[in-house]
Amino acid sequence: MGLFEEPLKGIRQYLEEKRSLGKAREFHFTPVLPRASSPQVILSEDTGLELGSPGTASRSLLLWDDTEAVADGRITLVGPDFPEIGAGKAPLAQVVMVGGRFSDEYDCYRDLREATYNLGLRGFMTRVFPGRQSVWCRVSREAMQRGFNAQILGSALIQAVKRLDFVDAAEVLLVTSSREEIEELSPAADLVQEIVEALIKMYEEMNFDCDTCEYVEVCDSVVELRRIRDRLQAERGGGEADPG
Amino acid sequence: MNRSTVVAVCGKGGVGKTTLAALLARLLREDGKRRVLVVDADPAVGLGMALRIFPPRTVNDVRKEIISAVREHAADQVDLAASVDYKMMEILEEQGNLAFLSVGRPEEEGCYCQLNTLLREAIESLSSHFDLTLIDAEAGVEQVNRRVMRSVSHLLLVSDVTAKGLRVAESIREVAEEAVDYRKLGLVVNRVRDPAEARRVAESTSLPLLGFLPEDETVREMDASAGNFLEIPSCPALEAARECLIESGFLPS
Repeated sequence: MGLFEEPLKGIRQYLEEKRSLGKAREFHFTPVLPRASSPQVILSEDTGLELGSPGTASRSLLLWDDTEAVADGRITLVGPDFPEIGAGKAPLAQVVMVGGRFSDEYDCYRDLREATYNLGLRGFMTRVFPGRQSVWCRVSREAMQRGFNAQILGSALIQAVKRLDFVDAAEVLLVTSSREEIEELSPAADLVQEIVEALIKMYEEMNFDCDTCEYVEVCDSVVELRRIRDRLQAERGGGEADPG
Repeated sequence: MNRSTVVAVCGKGGVGKTTLAALLARLLREDGKRRVLVVDADPAVGLGMALRIFPPRTVNDVRKEIISAVREHAADQVDLAASVDYKMMEILEEQGNLAFLSVGRPEEEGCYCQLNTLLREAIESLSSHFDLTLIDAEAGVEQVNRRVMRSVSHLLLVSDVTAKGLRVAESIREVAEEAVDYRKLGLVVNRVRDPAEARRVAESTSLPLLGFLPEDETVREMDASAGNFLEIPSCPALEAARECLIESGFLPS
């Protein structure tokens, strides 16, 4: 039973549906060369393509699952590939699914987020706003001319998370088709947000007064969160561990 | 490690600091060869007015938005830093090779040291991706003293021909020697009427002189009509500002 079991079910269903409708294309991981050490700034006048920018539909999700359940190296694209979009703006959903050994859930999640927030790709700028689950990317004209595409972005995301020693497998879903097809991910995305916020609160605040916590329903409905809460309570002397 | 070029225009209030910053922005826009981040760090937000750039949100608005967001959604350091970077990019007003950032008026409401540090680091990080950052600083020495300009590489001190203006410029240098790790410092004297006045000012200060900006009717008209300094036509003050940039190595001779 994983932390993201419920939202992952939703994402797998989404993938199945898009595949059955012939709307999904698949690519395989290919190594990419990161060049920049810190998040780049690409100005509008140098931008060839803008994805998920403010005002455009945008989603960024990061979840983990059992390693066997993750199709390692698979990049699924729903919608046009970047060169097919051409110049201008397009919506973007970016879903990274990771399989591995997560001995400390919070530390692992923090490392995973840090890895995906800065890919260090030349000619590619990414900004993430976690509170809104938004990702905003700019691809430079030069990078577009070099053939920057969904396979490169997906591969960079996979490469970034697989650099972490606890990650065994990674899979990426990218959606560029429409606001509607991105909004279909909302039920899963909302669940992810609730789980992540509950996890952060648990680790950052050291407050286990469930009577006053706004995330108590999330913890109670997600078995894995309940297990983490009970373990932390026991470790920090906040109460007896509940094996259930 | 290469330090990026960060030019701060400082001086006493009313000496023409914002006018000089606006003229420099105009010249760097015209040159078009460098990516320039223009930061209006003066709470009076005069530079935006001079360049006719009115960002709907400022760095201070970002600060408030993030405080409010954190109250609604749990966030840790990693998410906070990412949110600040996102919002900084969101509030940039771009005009060709120029990107404009307004710091706005700070409104203290409790202690948010961690967030303030993140915001300062985000501006520094943003700045490091531009060829040149031009800051119109708050009047006087306080901003320099608070070390908010610790990453400044070039201090452009502005004064009019008055003893008070020159004294404030000298005070800024004294404070900067302690608080700022700058590489170059130069004085630009504004509203100089004639060569004799320029000579008198040169003799009365120990600050290294970078240039003199003459009294200029075109600048006066621009100020009076709230004109766009990015479109100011060639005039003596603009050409004097150009000389300052050439002298500093920011424009080819």
